[in-house]
Amino acid sequence: MSVINFKTNIYDYLETLPIFTFQRLFQKPATCLAIFRLLPAIGRQIVMSILYVENPISLKDIQSWVYKDGHKKLQEALHKLSKLHILEETPEKGLIVNSTFRLEFKNALSGGGEHQSFGLPCATVDKHKVDIAFLDHFASTQWEAILHYMVGTTMTKRPSRGVLNLLQKSDLMNSTASESGLHITNKGFQFLLQDVNTQVWAFLLQYLDMAEMLKMDLVEVLNFLFQLGSLELGQDYSVETLTETQQQMLEDLGDYGIVYRRKKGSRRFYPTRLATTLTSGTSALVTSLSKKETGTAASSAMIAAAEESHDEGGFLILETNYRVYAYTESPLQIAVLNLFIQLKSRFPNMVSGVITRESVRNAFLNGITADQIISYLQTHAHPQMRKRAPLLPLTVVDQIRLWEMERNRVEDKAAYLYKDFNVQADFDAAEKYAKDLDVLLWSNSKQRKMVIAQEAHETLRTYIKRRLAGNRDTG
Amino acid sequence: MTSSGPSAASQKKRKLSDAESSDEDSDVQLDLNLQNKLYVPRHANLDPSSLNSTHHGIGIEGQKDFVSHIFGNEDYTWLPLKNDHKSRPLWISPENGHIILEGFSPIAEQAQDFLVAISEPVSRPAHIHEYKLTPYSLYAAVSVGLETEDIIEVLNRLSKVPVPESITKFIRQCTLSYGKVKLVLKHNRYYVESAHPETLQMLLKDSVIGAGRVYRDENDQITTEQNSALTVSSKPTGKDLTIPGIQKGKDTKPDGLNEKLTAEEQKKEDEKLFGAVVAIDKEDEDDDDEAEQVHAFEIQADHVENIKKRCNEIDYPMLEEYDFRNDTVNPNLEIDLKPITVIRPYQEKSLSKMFGNGRARSGIIVLPCGAGKTLVGITAACTIKKSCLVLCTSSVSVMQWKQQFLQWSNIKENQIAVFTSDQKERFSGDAGIVISTYSMVANKRKRSYDAQKMMDFLESREWGFLLLDEVHVVPANMFRTVVTTIAAHAKLGLTATLVREDEKIDDLNFLIGPKLYEANWMDLASKGHIANVQCAEVWCPMTPEFYAEYLLENTRKRTLLYVMNPRKFQACQYLIRYHEERGDKIIVFSDNVHALVEYAKKLQKPYIYGGTGQQERMRILQNFQYNPIVNTIFLSKVGDTSIDLPEATCLIQISSHYGSRRQEAQRLGRILRAKRRNDEGFNAFFYSLVSKDTQEMYYSTKRQQFLIDQGYAFKVITNLEGIDSDPTLVFKTKNEQLDLLKSVLLTNEADLKDEDLHEMDDVGRITDRKVAAKNRLPGLVRRTMTTSKSLAGGDNMAYMEYSRSSGGQFAKNPRGNPGASKEHHSLFKKHLKRK
Repeated sequence: MSVINFKTNIYDYLETLPIFTFQRLFQKPATCLAIFRLLPAIGRQIVMSILYVENPISLKDIQSWVYKDGHKKLQEALHKLSKLHILEETPEKGLIVNSTFRLEFKNALSGGGEHQSFGLPCATVDKHKVDIAFLDHFASTQWEAILHYMVGTTMTKRPSRGVLNLLQKSDLMNSTASESGLHITNKGFQFLLQDVNTQVWAFLLQYLDMAEMLKMDLVEVLNFLFQLGSLELGQDYSVETLTETQQQMLEDLGDYGIVYRRKKGSRRFYPTRLATTLTSGTSALVTSLSKKETGTAASSAMIAAAEESHDEGGFLILETNYRVYAYTESPLQIAVLNLFIQLKSRFPNMVSGVITRESVRNAFLNGITADQIISYLQTHAHPQMRKRAPLLPLTVVDQIRLWEMERNRVEDKAAYLYKDFNVQADFDAAEKYAKDLDVLLWSNSKQRKMVIAQEAHETLRTYIKRRLAGNRDTG
Repeated sequence: MTSSGPSAASQKKRKLSDAESSDEDSDVQLDLNLQNKLYVPRHANLDPSSLNSTHHGIGIEGQKDFVSHIFGNEDYTWLPLKNDHKSRPLWISPENGHIILEGFSPIAEQAQDFLVAISEPVSRPAHIHEYKLTPYSLYAAVSVGLETEDIIEVLNRLSKVPVPESITKFIRQCTLSYGKVKLVLKHNRYYVESAHPETLQMLLKDSVIGAGRVYRDENDQITTEQNSALTVSSKPTGKDLTIPGIQKGKDTKPDGLNEKLTAEEQKKEDEKLFGAVVAIDKEDEDDDDEAEQVHAFEIQADHVENIKKRCNEIDYPMLEEYDFRNDTVNPNLEIDLKPITVIRPYQEKSLSKMFGNGRARSGIIVLPCGAGKTLVGITAACTIKKSCLVLCTSSVSVMQWKQQFLQWSNIKENQIAVFTSDQKERFSGDAGIVISTYSMVANKRKRSYDAQKMMDFLESREWGFLLLDEVHVVPANMFRTVVTTIAAHAKLGLTATLVREDEKIDDLNFLIGPKLYEANWMDLASKGHIANVQCAEVWCPMTPEFYAEYLLENTRKRTLLYVMNPRKFQACQYLIRYHEERGDKIIVFSDNVHALVEYAKKLQKPYIYGGTGQQERMRILQNFQYNPIVNTIFLSKVGDTSIDLPEATCLIQISSHYGSRRQEAQRLGRILRAKRRNDEGFNAFFYSLVSKDTQEMYYSTKRQQFLIDQGYAFKVITNLEGIDSDPTLVFKTKNEQLDLLKSVLLTNEADLKDEDLHEMDDVGRITDRKVAAKNRLPGLVRRTMTTSKSLAGGDNMAYMEYSRSSGGQFAKNPRGNPGASKEHHSLFKKHLKRK
């Protein structure tokens, strides 16, 4: 589903990188660990199995590790590993782990070697120490501010210039000539339907693209992102070990809510939950926190509870009568639901609405597809919904697809319009000729207009030219 | 709402709904005399939102955030959540009295029982149910013995949010006075009875009511001496009453009783756990054990009408109860259920609600079509054992009621009389049963001599029991007329759907009495009492030629065009063939008579519409039931209700009545009682054929709403497999299709006549002279004045479309508008030219 889609996009991105970039990336143990964590399960299994094997292993041996019906998956995993240059093929048709990767990954696992790629915790005590609840609040406020801005709500503060820039560059929003300010694009709407983790990655990928344009060192940027993924929540880290590029990044990441610094130029930073869950594969921050008060124990309990419910599956109940009940109090989630549901009433912890043709068509007009709606409903289906199969009422799913199909019934084809025939006889002859060739799409004898298929244009034009020329000759 | 009086209030309401539908045109006009006799309590149309004063403003300003605007005034975030809200199953909306219930909550079942008693079910699908509090539902709640404070208390216990103030107010206003006072006919005297003596004292202070009081001395003689003491007696119980068909079952099955006991113990356990619901359930159950006392005073018979009216005015509507066992004036009727007749648990439940205290309560019982409403009615009649008047919607169902009476009960044939336009019989003896139609009784035109005599007979008698079949099909005023002209002691309304497109349902309910029982469709289906149904909507694309004409034509013709769409024709043929091969018996429904005839003739199947004679109808229906060669019949609207064909297992709908949810439900009802429903894996099929991209699509969605809310799911079929490979497919070639199109465009006058004929049989026909005069146009027969559309407000649609196409000319009767035919004519010419 969507989550996987976007995660593979990180692969897609990494795969485009040249091999020497990888060599530099692999020099950081944190990066090796992060990449490892992003691998599919089989991939991780293979790496662990042959990490400590110094000699190449033949493909045949590896294949013998799996049952026959698993071969396809194995093949995919191996392909992925070689794309990421973790596995290399020796001239003797054996497979071996890239030596840099092997060395640094071992270091990552055993904690050996000389490195500070897992960040340097501050030695001194922070006078303004913040706790996890505060960080969560900070992260969700920052991140939601961006999303709110995208949905076009006015009550939150405007994100920083850097964020706006990125939104525009990444084509999630664009500015129209007529109106001031930015407007959400189709891509932006699709972005909103994703879960937070996916959104963050999608956002960071755009950031990487931009970093390239700004001539920042890609490896340093990537290393820092991967490093963030392995930091510990609630711990403050020193900026000392960071390169100049990375220090520059801190500011941007602060805007996104990925790291927290008390003020610019502060010598320490805290990673937030958005950062620490980047590569962990577990669920990211749940966005229903914006209304909670800061820094209380209740708040962190809320997160735990929210995370739990997130793991269980979600908050949406869809009925066969097209009604939707969503257990949410987050204005953002409500705003997202409002994209394709006609909302009716709102209680402190639940909103109810109904899916109608109009509401779904509105979503389509915004560039959201039926598949996205359905997958959103699926991903966020309430645990009660999961008790029965099929998960979503089939009739509703069918209907949403049918509504989408309704819109795709008109096909366009290039064609030629012939008009301004001076003489009726010319028109008639041309019409007859086109008819005989079976290329006439439409004609109106009174107005002397006709439309013919594109491919016959040359033939007909020659014919008419010849006829007109003939007329002139005789006339 | 101010004290503008009942009739003024309902008039106002009617005015409002006029803007939406022109239903009024098809209905009877009430004369002044009748209007005065209509009693509707003041709060009948009370809206909770009007009581919503305090919190509202605070809510909006207090916590408004940027998504609030989406919800308008339905943003209830200001309602505080209770701390333990997770273990409570429902939310209550302060604005409109909607209740949203988590169907998966552990105490959902108890909550449901409670909610069904106090509110109207709106939707009951798998997970989350919705209910709505209405004045009527609360009226029903108090009339079965629930107390105001208990309702609020239990709601509060079940609710995740505190019961909003507006709702508390609403409940108080609706229940404080409702259901407190009963009008009882006992030993041939009328008593006003109540468990609350203070209420009676209050009523007695009213001059109108006080004037009607009768005082008696110790020897039971009427005196003029005024003493304020009330008669006190113990509360009536239903202990010694046997409802036929019920007790018997219990006696013969002691095991069943034991089971029931253990079930009850189990329930008691549950009750301990969820104290909330218990209090009320128990109270309701244990009513009989406590020797509770009721207070009463007697009133004079000729003051009854006045007092009833007065009570409504001061908002103390009287529940009518009929102590039929102590009625010695009206002669008894020898009637009982046949020993073989068995009634089902839910029928028993509904009847026990009616006869709960040993008297007959007036009210409405809501059961799905095909769940045996008739038997409930008959059993009720057998319990009361007095003269009985049964009113139904068409002469076909009159015959069916008669036949059912003969089938289930031991009544003699000469004790049942039928009163229709064809037959005007009387029963022999002092007591008996008369079966008639609403339109026969509400008729106010000059009647034939026979009919007038019969009417005089009906109006002069006191009826023990008035049975109203399909109460919500009847046009509102016709219904009012019937209820007020017939003097009956107990009234029972039967219906499948409490929905009306014109929303005039509210005050009607008060005319009969509270809703006594409403069954859950899905429940009955899962228990095998009604058939499982697969619903499908088949999308038939319009052929290009038909669609081109469709876009050009006026509304009336459009209807015919999308019904006669060749692709639909083919789909119909395909489905008939497919299901005949499976061994199904198929009913095809078409509202449009012209289409009905065309389809039936083309596919060579028998058909019944309004114009079909009684004999012919019976012959066709019998053939359908018993002849293995006749597997498909075509029915017009006459078949919508009351035609009882348990053989039918598949239903195809080719044209229907605009957006009428009721019709959809009623048609579905035709197959719910399928004989084979208990076969393993048996499914009945319900197809609705709609032409793509036409108005029909819109109507279709609207029609399905009721069934969807009951938990049914409509599957959309866009492609019928292998339809094109059928060599016998009709209208395969373009030429045939064009011929069909030509004939559709040609049919104008002829087709309309058919439609009118058909309506003569239906309830919708006009019986009032005023309306007739209003609608009469030169050159047309009088019959044309009703349209089948008007019932569901279809004319309104027609008007809208029409005024556009004919330059804003607003015609009362589009059909008769010369502009229309002219316009059509030129188009038609153009069409011919093109060919």
